[in-house]
Amino acid sequence: MPSKKFYLKLALVLALAVVLSLAASAQNFDALKARIKTHTLGNGMKFIVFERHDAPVVSFHVYADVGGANESYGITGISHVLEHMAFKGTKTVGTKDYAAEAQVLAEIDAVYDELAREKAKPVPDAQRVAELKAKFDTLEATAKEYVANNEYFDMMMREGDQGVNAYTSNDATQYINSLPSNKLEFWFAMTSDRFLNPVFREFFKERDVVMEERRLGLETRPTGKLFEDFTATAFKAHPYRHGVIGHMSDLRNLTRKDVETYFKTFYGPSNLTVGIVGDVKPEEVFKLAELYFERIPSGPKPAGVRTEEPEQWGERRVAVQAKAQPYLFVGYHVPDTRHKDSRAIEALANILGQGRSSHLYTSLVKTKKIAVAAQSGSGFPGDKFANLVVVMCVPAAGKTSAECLAAIEEEIERIKKESVTEEELTKFKRGTIKGLYGQMTDNGNMASLLTYADVVLGGFDKAFEQVEAIKAVTADDVKRVAATYLVVKNRTIGEIVPEK
Amino acid sequence: MIQTRIKTKVIAGVVLLALVAVAGFAQKGPKDKIAFGPLNPIKIPKVETATLSNGLRLFLVEDPEYPTIDVWAWVRAGSVFEPADKAGLAGITGQVLRTGGTAAKTGDEIDKELETLAARVETYIGQTNGALSVSCLKEDIDKSLAILADILMNPAFRQDKIDLAKLQARTGIVRRNDDIGQITNREFRKLIYGKHGVYARHTEYATIDAIGRDDIVAFYKTYFHPNNAWMAVWGDFKAKDMIAKIKAALGKWPKGQASTAPWPTVPYQDKFTVNFIDKPDVNQSNVMLGHIGGYMNNPDYPALSIMNFILSFERMFKKLRTDEGLAYSVWGSYGAGYINPGVFSCGIQTKSQSTVYAIDLMLKELKRITEQEVTDEELAKAKDGYLNGYVFEFDSRSQIVNRMMMYAYFGYPLDFSAKIKMGVEKVSKADVLRVAKKYLRPDKVQILVVGKKEDFDKPLSTLGEVNVIDIDIPPAKK
Repeated sequence: MPSKKFYLKLALVLALAVVLSLAASAQNFDALKARIKTHTLGNGMKFIVFERHDAPVVSFHVYADVGGANESYGITGISHVLEHMAFKGTKTVGTKDYAAEAQVLAEIDAVYDELAREKAKPVPDAQRVAELKAKFDTLEATAKEYVANNEYFDMMMREGDQGVNAYTSNDATQYINSLPSNKLEFWFAMTSDRFLNPVFREFFKERDVVMEERRLGLETRPTGKLFEDFTATAFKAHPYRHGVIGHMSDLRNLTRKDVETYFKTFYGPSNLTVGIVGDVKPEEVFKLAELYFERIPSGPKPAGVRTEEPEQWGERRVAVQAKAQPYLFVGYHVPDTRHKDSRAIEALANILGQGRSSHLYTSLVKTKKIAVAAQSGSGFPGDKFANLVVVMCVPAAGKTSAECLAAIEEEIERIKKESVTEEELTKFKRGTIKGLYGQMTDNGNMASLLTYADVVLGGFDKAFEQVEAIKAVTADDVKRVAATYLVVKNRTIGEIVPEK
Repeated sequence: MIQTRIKTKVIAGVVLLALVAVAGFAQKGPKDKIAFGPLNPIKIPKVETATLSNGLRLFLVEDPEYPTIDVWAWVRAGSVFEPADKAGLAGITGQVLRTGGTAAKTGDEIDKELETLAARVETYIGQTNGALSVSCLKEDIDKSLAILADILMNPAFRQDKIDLAKLQARTGIVRRNDDIGQITNREFRKLIYGKHGVYARHTEYATIDAIGRDDIVAFYKTYFHPNNAWMAVWGDFKAKDMIAKIKAALGKWPKGQASTAPWPTVPYQDKFTVNFIDKPDVNQSNVMLGHIGGYMNNPDYPALSIMNFILSFERMFKKLRTDEGLAYSVWGSYGAGYINPGVFSCGIQTKSQSTVYAIDLMLKELKRITEQEVTDEELAKAKDGYLNGYVFEFDSRSQIVNRMMMYAYFGYPLDFSAKIKMGVEKVSKADVLRVAKKYLRPDKVQILVVGKKEDFDKPLSTLGEVNVIDIDIPPAKK
């Protein structure tokens, strides 16, 4: 049996190693920061470049500072629909004859509006509806003749683009490409045209595609339904309350004009930040940026989201009844990621429920055997605005959500009372730094990180500087944020209740 | 004559340079010709190889960008080798090898030790491979390797963690019909590989109950030997030092009997079938249709991969998604495995009301690609896309070394991806038609539909005689 002294020694060695590693990390991050160059055009569009010449490839990340949180009633889901429409081409890409096509598109919009007005009447004229519908279909077929199907995809993929895609979240809409690095100018030509001259063609069919996406990801999946209702319950005012995919009735009624207006509001150059990482030279990138993007007229930065989530007055609960096994979400309101408590909140979420040695896994899975998975995280459903720390739990066969909730509460109370250990803090700090390295290994992920840090944290360098704040978190901080935020009055419980 | 020519060339060169320089400052439209400069050379990093005296094969790449080290090793094992009445044995062995701890430490102690270091050591057994992995900050490599070695040489397979793994497996069974996508994938594989086929079968309460600690220990002992493993290592180290470290940690791992059991083959009978699973609580059908696929070392594989792109994107995506708005996700692809036959499948998720319409359209596209040549444009786009994107196979060192390790594991040539590229360069329209005719059988597909039949546009019986599949979970013995 090793003596107590041995363990003390071991702890000392361990602590020393940690100190060494964290000092080394600071050096690494400073060196990385120095390799990053930025340039902001006269119209406000910002470019961030990180050179990496290991392989002759380059990744692009266009971060549009608009997402589900910018939407209001009636147009939920529009950020994501716009993201889909951004693949439909421009006045030169995706069309065989834009002038002729534009006329038909205008006619389609007019007939669609007329049809919508007729349908909205207390008693719609069935014959009129049928006529308009027939006219609409004929015009759609005519418009289709001018379309070069998926030409944007064709052109990008043909040049070797391996990651042509985009994502919409509650906070942002992000467009990604990866090309062989000698095709830098091709990307500029394509992308500047994409954001200067977009044409939202094939809109109504794409709306159908998005509705299928909603059925796929949400309506046919009990956990998808829970996700939607849990968020809608936790937030009563802030637009995080509606999902990125939007409500079905909003999707069904969106118009091309809605999307055009939304684009004009949110896709001005001052609302776009571009990360470019790979085998490129910053001077050349900035020259091309000026040549291609300076021509986009500047506009005002769109107004921010007004609505803030007010203080919660008592616990909220929601149930989704489904032909499925139980599932439990527990969420607590916390401030946005720029708040001074946020690193401590991340530490709390990590120590509470990330990894096999975390409180939740140890108690619920290993010891009590009432769950097969139990974890927690912060930044749900986004982190630009005040958000949630969420505990997600999958009860074991034959066990209930109620049993799991009691065990979760027990672990939270334990942290409030006993605080956390130095080892647990070390786990969080080292794990976060190692995670950063992992993210920075990939060109695309690095480009994503830099744009996120610049827009949401307020500077690309914050991606590295937050390491200092992470290192500064103490056990008392974690205990304090647990006591402040993880309280019953501030929580929402969502569960799947099995139905026969 | 020659001299003049050279001169002209020089002048032409100068003019060209001037043009390029000017062009460099002239804005181009997306469809204007842009002169691409030569691509900077692909720097393929040196992959060091070594074999320890106990037979462990190493592939190493130095990658000093960040102070981390990763190890990823494959062990020749897999659930295809477990007895049918103990389905789940391989997965549980792979899990408890790590969680069950070692003679000296419990799994929980190892969890804590590793997580405090921000290191990971994991073990796993899948269908056709076992895997070991280490990921750590470079200063922790000795400790992490020591833990890996302890796990490999002195695993304890403690009963409490066996019980936990079995509880997790049972929970997986009770939840397996909650998600329509999971149902569709699982049941389609059973249609193709056979209900009890090794590539499709799954756990039941009875098979989990039948697994004992002895089975687990025996399964581990049969497969986990250094001479039955291939290991890729990358990160911030000097290859020579790293080999020495691995030797110090794993050199004493005793040699055993290398596994030579052949990978199971699949008997397959071509047939047309229509299969249905009732899911009354959904508003969207999940559809898969297809038949058995093939192997990647088939000389026709490059032509098949070009055909796959055209069928999936040019045909299925452009027609069913873009033109018709029928789905978010739709595909058609001839799957090929390294050592087991893949699955040829077309799939879509579409609202209940367009179920049969979508199936008809997919079958039409499938038939078309076996009857008519693709267009010059379709072929050119598919080949250019593949060849221009080929550089991405070398965009990270971890990818390069892992691919090499995987090829070695499956007994493929280490430059297999280069061979595929050479094959793709030669693919013609005639080749695409030839392989489509040879490998796709549109009239002999097995169709699976999961959904709410009351809402279908037409009854499935319009496609053929419908076989209803029962997915009720056989209850556990009390």
